[in-house]
Amino acid sequence: MVASDIPAPLRESLQDARDALDEGYFPLELFHDDDVHDLEMDRIFGNSWVLVGHESEIPEPGDYARRYVGDDTFIFVRDESGEINLLFDSCRHRGTQVCRAEQGNTSHFRCPYHGWTYKNNGDAAGIPQKSKAYKELDREDIGLAHVPRLESYEGLVFASLAEDGATLEEWLGDFKWYLDIHLKLPEGGMEVVGEPHRWVIDANWKTIADNFNGDSYHTAWAHGSVVDLELGGEETVGHAGTGESIDHHIHCDGHTTSIRGFEDEDVFLTYPDDVVDDLFTKDGLSEAQWQVARQALSFTGAIFPNFGFLHFGDTTDDPNKDVAPFFTIRKWRPLGPDQMELWSWGLAPKNAPQEFKDRMYKMYTSNFGPTGNFEQDDVPIWKSITEAASGQFTRSQDLQLNYQMGMEWMSEMTLDEDWEGPGFAYSENLEEGGMRLFHEQWYEMLAGNERADATGTPLNVEVER
Amino acid sequence: MTLAEREAELEAMLLEREAKHFLVREAELLDHRELDAWLDLIADDISYYMPRRLMRENTTNVFSDEGYYFDEDYGSLRARVERFDSEYAWAERPPTRTERYVTNVLVTDHDEETVDVESNLLVYLSRGDSEAHDFYSAKRLDTLRRRDDGFELADRTILLNQTILSTDNVSIFL
Repeated sequence: MVASDIPAPLRESLQDARDALDEGYFPLELFHDDDVHDLEMDRIFGNSWVLVGHESEIPEPGDYARRYVGDDTFIFVRDESGEINLLFDSCRHRGTQVCRAEQGNTSHFRCPYHGWTYKNNGDAAGIPQKSKAYKELDREDIGLAHVPRLESYEGLVFASLAEDGATLEEWLGDFKWYLDIHLKLPEGGMEVVGEPHRWVIDANWKTIADNFNGDSYHTAWAHGSVVDLELGGEETVGHAGTGESIDHHIHCDGHTTSIRGFEDEDVFLTYPDDVVDDLFTKDGLSEAQWQVARQALSFTGAIFPNFGFLHFGDTTDDPNKDVAPFFTIRKWRPLGPDQMELWSWGLAPKNAPQEFKDRMYKMYTSNFGPTGNFEQDDVPIWKSITEAASGQFTRSQDLQLNYQMGMEWMSEMTLDEDWEGPGFAYSENLEEGGMRLFHEQWYEMLAGNERADATGTPLNVEVER
Repeated sequence: MTLAEREAELEAMLLEREAKHFLVREAELLDHRELDAWLDLIADDISYYMPRRLMRENTTNVFSDEGYYFDEDYGSLRARVERFDSEYAWAERPPTRTERYVTNVLVTDHDEETVDVESNLLVYLSRGDSEAHDFYSAKRLDTLRRRDDGFELADRTILLNQTILSTDNVSIFL
């Protein structure tokens, strides 16, 4: 049921979209719709845990970076006591933004309008001529506003604009099991290299969400040039459903990950032996997680609603050079129904030799980010979906996108009953259930229901709904 | 002005003209997407680097110590060029329509073998069946090295003006 506070036509179109999902369809027109965008910003981005950045981006007291949650601008800052804050960037006097640089280090933020000054923990510090002009004003009441909730998981910092709701731990749920494989594998964890790449593209944010929620099907075709040139191994980027690799698509508490690997082999994403021997540790992992890491060649994943990651081995910038892995995280920030800003970070194990960290960052930029040999070809595709969604024909014909791969009448799907990790693990990667799960959650949040009402249950598994 | 001074001045002008001709011809090859011919102008030991620009308080021309868009050697540049030959390199199918404007050319140093030259680059680009267009604006710091048929590009640093890109991707060379 869609909550009744939504105007009837929009309510109807959301309900139609939900009904279509049961058949593996989703209306194309909702990839470019003003009313849907407004509702998404309000209900999804106003209530979800959204990535802000990584703790390693602001290592020292006073380090800060401008960051965005929903449509709002915040200052991501480590204060003098070492605590991380997310402060709304708006002077409490007349609303002026007090942070102008993208990143930097400062003990105070100064408003350019009338000179109100704030400490880097948000506390009000100075008000010009306060004793004459504002003698009754209490500094306690006029600090920069903190985001309602800010929490970290293994260095990743997320914020929620909602006062209440699931904690970050609850939001991530059992998917933490999969995140740990990346974040806890190297002793000392992962850290960000450089600053995030940012670029604005004319595409709806759900196009990229679909892509990161298990689109193994596109890789060999959209990125055929990378295969042609042997910049990525056949098993990393080759056709889904073929090859020697063991593939899994996993849906877990609303989030998804796709894993390619080789059974009973020491793959470790093609990390060099010295990094594996010196740095990789079982300390934070179960034996089952360790075995996934050991046999894995590549991971793609997404956390609802707008966080994605890629951890790939067997890639290179030159077919004549040795292969190496990369690890990148990203967020897609909607700017409108037909526009988003992409934020993309390259990471490396914190305690790895500098030369290897440099190589990992090189692998990241060679493959992803605006100059990446993979990514160059993705963005125009997402843009063209958005353009196709914008017109009258899409609406008058009620054109539906197809997400039927993996539904029981469409393809043979088997759940891996022996899989030791949480969630549902399919034994293949030719399926689109991760995207259906994404859209189910999208529906539940827009409809005013609980995100967890989206079960994402595979249609060939009997579970009480 | 003495005759010797005039001669030195003339030498400097000729050198600058020579460097400028190289850059203009290079821009032409890139605009016509003659990428193999462009690669012929690239030295085997090229460093081709485009750092990420940062927006900092009270300072200008700040670039990341670690973050970049390109940090290429000859092999990775060649791979990028060869990738565009694939029929699956969708970003450049059809190719971006570009025009490069090379200005403010200044020789900053030179010896028998090499010439250091600064230039400003404005690239107009438009794509697909659309009137929309975009620009990249940058200062480039190049080292040209003499060889039998003229110069080759031995080192390039591209100092982009943008901190946030407004293009889908960077699928051209700057």
